[in-house]
Amino acid sequence: MRRSPAFELFRYAVIVLAIAITLVPIAWMASMAFKPIAEWQATGNNLTWWPKNPTLDNFRFIFGESSTELIVALERTAAKPILASLLASVFGTLIAMAAGSAAAYGLSRFKAGGNLPLALIQLRLFPPMAVMIPVMIMWAFLKLNDTWWGLALVYGIVTLPFAFWLMKTFFDEMPREIEEAALVEGCSRFRVFLKVTLPMMAAPLASSALFVFILNWSDYLIALLLTTREWVTIPVYMASLSSSMTGQLYGAKAALGLIAAVPPIIAGIAIQKHLVRGLTFGALKQ
Amino acid sequence: MTTQNRISRRQLLATGSKGALVAAAVGIAPQFIRPGRAFAQDALAAGMIGGPAGFDGAERYQYGPDTPEGRAIEALRSLKGAGKAPERIVLGLSDGSIGQLTQPFPAGAPSIKELFEQETGITLDIVGVPNGQEFTKTMQDISTNGGQFDIYAVEWNRLGDLAETGGIIKMDDFVAAHRPEWDDPERGYVNGAQGVSLLNQYRGSTYGVSLDGDFQTWNYRTDLFGAAAEQKAFADKYGYELKPPRTWKELDEISSFFFRPDQGLFGSTDLRNQGWGYTNWYQRYTSMASPNQFLFADDGKPLINSEQGLAATEEYIKSLAYKSPDAISWSWPEQYGNFGSGGAAMTCAFSNLPKFLDNPGNSGSMVSGKVGSMLPPGREIGGDLVRRTVLWLNLSASISSQSKHPEAAYLLLQWLGSSRIYSWMTANPGGYFDPFQLANFSDPLVRQTYHDYHMDVVRESVARTVPSINYPGATAFHNALDENLVASLTGAKSAAQAMADTESEWLKIAGRVGEEKLLEAIKTNKAAWPTVVDRLS
Amino acid sequence: MSGVTEAPGAAEAGDDARASRKLGLYLTLPAQLLVLFIAVFPLLMQLYISLTGWSPLTGMGWWNAWSLWNSFQNYVELAVDNRWWSALLRTLLVMVVCVPAEFLLGLGLATLFMDNFYGKRAFYSILLMPMMVVPAVAGYMFFMLFQSGGPVNDLLSTLSGQNIAIAWLSNPSLAMVAVMVADIWQWTPLMFLILLAGLVGVQEDQLKAATLLGANWRQRFVTIMLPRMKTIIIIALAIRTIENFKIFDTLYIMTGGGPGVATETISVYIYKLITNDLNWGYVAAIALVILLTLSVALGIAISRMGKASTEVTK
Repeated sequence: MRRSPAFELFRYAVIVLAIAITLVPIAWMASMAFKPIAEWQATGNNLTWWPKNPTLDNFRFIFGESSTELIVALERTAAKPILASLLASVFGTLIAMAAGSAAAYGLSRFKAGGNLPLALIQLRLFPPMAVMIPVMIMWAFLKLNDTWWGLALVYGIVTLPFAFWLMKTFFDEMPREIEEAALVEGCSRFRVFLKVTLPMMAAPLASSALFVFILNWSDYLIALLLTTREWVTIPVYMASLSSSMTGQLYGAKAALGLIAAVPPIIAGIAIQKHLVRGLTFGALKQ
Repeated sequence: MTTQNRISRRQLLATGSKGALVAAAVGIAPQFIRPGRAFAQDALAAGMIGGPAGFDGAERYQYGPDTPEGRAIEALRSLKGAGKAPERIVLGLSDGSIGQLTQPFPAGAPSIKELFEQETGITLDIVGVPNGQEFTKTMQDISTNGGQFDIYAVEWNRLGDLAETGGIIKMDDFVAAHRPEWDDPERGYVNGAQGVSLLNQYRGSTYGVSLDGDFQTWNYRTDLFGAAAEQKAFADKYGYELKPPRTWKELDEISSFFFRPDQGLFGSTDLRNQGWGYTNWYQRYTSMASPNQFLFADDGKPLINSEQGLAATEEYIKSLAYKSPDAISWSWPEQYGNFGSGGAAMTCAFSNLPKFLDNPGNSGSMVSGKVGSMLPPGREIGGDLVRRTVLWLNLSASISSQSKHPEAAYLLLQWLGSSRIYSWMTANPGGYFDPFQLANFSDPLVRQTYHDYHMDVVRESVARTVPSINYPGATAFHNALDENLVASLTGAKSAAQAMADTESEWLKIAGRVGEEKLLEAIKTNKAAWPTVVDRLS
Repeated sequence: MSGVTEAPGAAEAGDDARASRKLGLYLTLPAQLLVLFIAVFPLLMQLYISLTGWSPLTGMGWWNAWSLWNSFQNYVELAVDNRWWSALLRTLLVMVVCVPAEFLLGLGLATLFMDNFYGKRAFYSILLMPMMVVPAVAGYMFFMLFQSGGPVNDLLSTLSGQNIAIAWLSNPSLAMVAVMVADIWQWTPLMFLILLAGLVGVQEDQLKAATLLGANWRQRFVTIMLPRMKTIIIIALAIRTIENFKIFDTLYIMTGGGPGVATETISVYIYKLITNDLNWGYVAAIALVILLTLSVALGIAISRMGKASTEVTK
């Protein structure tokens, strides 16, 4: 389809505006991460948009090095929270993917599972805030409070619906003939699954897993209520970045925010093509 | 991760922060940085059984066998000898305060944690809790039987609430056995037994050990108040001399005078946000009568929906005029940050503000050497001047009912919360625990970090401090007041409506708590209100 | 009669079917167990304590809550709880502003991306970035942006030539605006992504035919594209409505529900009840009411959606 030059101009104008709005908050955070304390906040009317004296102090600071300007040293560095976020998200993803794709395969091939799909939709529909009290009590009883594995278990359950629906779409789309042919040749069901189905599903599995990882990595609420100290995650830890010497440690928060933004953005770009299926619970036929 | 690892990580951190600490120490106490340690005391003074050594003046913090600290250490050692002591005591502590226990101060000294571990052989495991989440995390541990802590450190106001849950233990037997001498007239709490009852007790039993002194105090900028041009301009405009305000009216006028947002300067930045602002309302309200305008009558009837309540609320709203336009969303980090960057003429904050901001070691602060302290503004009533400030937050340590070693936990608290160790700890610039005992106010090292000019004002402010609500339902009472006050600040409610709504919510809460409990607690609380009234002239 | 249809080789097929059923059961078992694990105890426990005045402040374990039995008092209180109703209204307000705004902006952008043009791929990737930023981090970002001396006011000042110092987060209605702006910023990309996928899915030849028949751009859009995208639009709106209903992270970090209760949504209200008031019996009642309402709504939605529903529940 050919478009008129006027349309092209209009299109680029709108897109440039949209890109600008998209990038301003992210750019502000990125710029803040490299600003020395004197440039964090406007005094009077001199807001600093771009660091005048760029520094890595904010990054050094959150990893425990004291900077000359923020004379407080952190009692807890960002290293452990980053580890906590990684462990809980990765293992949460594994739980969701293992249970989710098994169930999806079972439903797609054997029509097993009863009302599982509906239950999973309900699980996603319901605000997690409203079940946190019993979950806190259960987790304390099971000694799972303030552990990354406890967090990973909740994450696995909360993102199970996505893992399930995504994988179900992929299994539904996969031609059965190949599996059936292998079955006829006398392979066992399990062997077929291992040798035929799984290799074919490698790419969908990877992209679904990355998608679920992004969701887990994004959590704030659950970690806020289920962790205390040892395994607080990045967003929870971020709240503690303030001091009586300097007030809010905006630079340190921005530096950590930037670090936290990187994994999902990379993962997101990597799975761009499959993203849309995850977000539609796999209901979109492509 | 094993404990071993955790400790070494902390030690690593402490080492990493030494540069900063030295910088801070240089600014605060130059005489402690001397070549070598030739002048420092490396050993305990004669007759002492424990305490820090290795710096000048260390003997002030050492103790003999017949002191609260000495008795605590010896009792712990004998528990240890009998095999009844735990390997470790887990102390939950808000993040911002941990430094005072883990960072050595002054140069040459051990840290408090090191000293305790060395003297008792018991590991002190300090678990940080995010600032502001102390009560939440404690309640979570209690209600879910989490058992993560031996000791909780929670705002003092919540002692009644916590005691009612049964999640913390009564310390009466331990107090009787080990005699902490908190009411010592020379070194102990202000107001002796009365002060102990206010800070540590609920319904006549000891449930907490105070580890803090959050008496809200006022600061101003000496450079602004001292500038000849400002003085002249002020006198010309208002007809009296520019000096720290004695009344709320003067405070409002001086604040308006200094309100210059285009130059990044606000009048007074005492807080107005949710969660903190109402402490400043308290000050205006309680000074409405001489000697005090109470919150509740003796029969439990709320007194806030009155002429006095209305007037205090209206003043409180009007004062927004000379604050940052963001005042309603500013919390203390914004307040401290702004004051440190020279953005305010006056403010009301925790007593540690000069420790952190009038501090040459804090190179981010532009107000070092330019901070002064003043008594809270007050009100003229029948020729008297009623100045009132408020005790609020103030971390207290309590022992978890789930602790398997309550006696050892208590002994740690007796050691930590007694005047020798506490003076040494509060002088440390690494955290938020502030002076509150008589011995703290006169201690040279404390006076060094908190400054002489400030310490005397703090002591006098303490004498004019009203306790905030500390009876069961405290959280709910304060939330109701707080939310209505913020609604009045944003214009969502009129001042009169805010007071009326608070009153009706308070009545509801009182019904839930139970009258008998409440009346007794109100009476105890009232007994601790100050009687000091200044002469106007 | 199903038995008849399986007649040929019945024994073998039956064995196979049984084996398949068994395998299917095993495969779905972990997911079933996880769902039961998170559903059964919490549901029963909340049902129990919702009928009592239990709070951890009472000092007794939740299992002893029966001694504080108050029948349906929590539910009655909820019915007249102004704060709950206004939190619900606010939640719905955020929803009816944000979801349509995200939808329209996303749809508008998507129509611009239907054919190829220079830089399309790069633009596409950049436009998707906001939805990958951790919501809590986005909260801190927007908190900084909306300070009165912050970049938003700075931009507005530059554009208007006047000195603008709006206290966004201190003003009840502006705080609401700020919170909504953050939500729209973060989630318009999602609408864009889904709707673009839907638009591209519409058959090219149908469009061409319509063009040949003389239909203009608008006619083609309204008569061919929109109807064909019905399912996709419903899905996009449903996802955002569901997620928006739970709004917490960004909002809580930006305003804490304040100033006052000006931006308090139901999640924030429940969070405060859990952590400050500790009125847990009451929270349980709220939770069950939400669960019941949502389940009924879901049931109605599914039966209404007819064809789409059979696909979803299959």
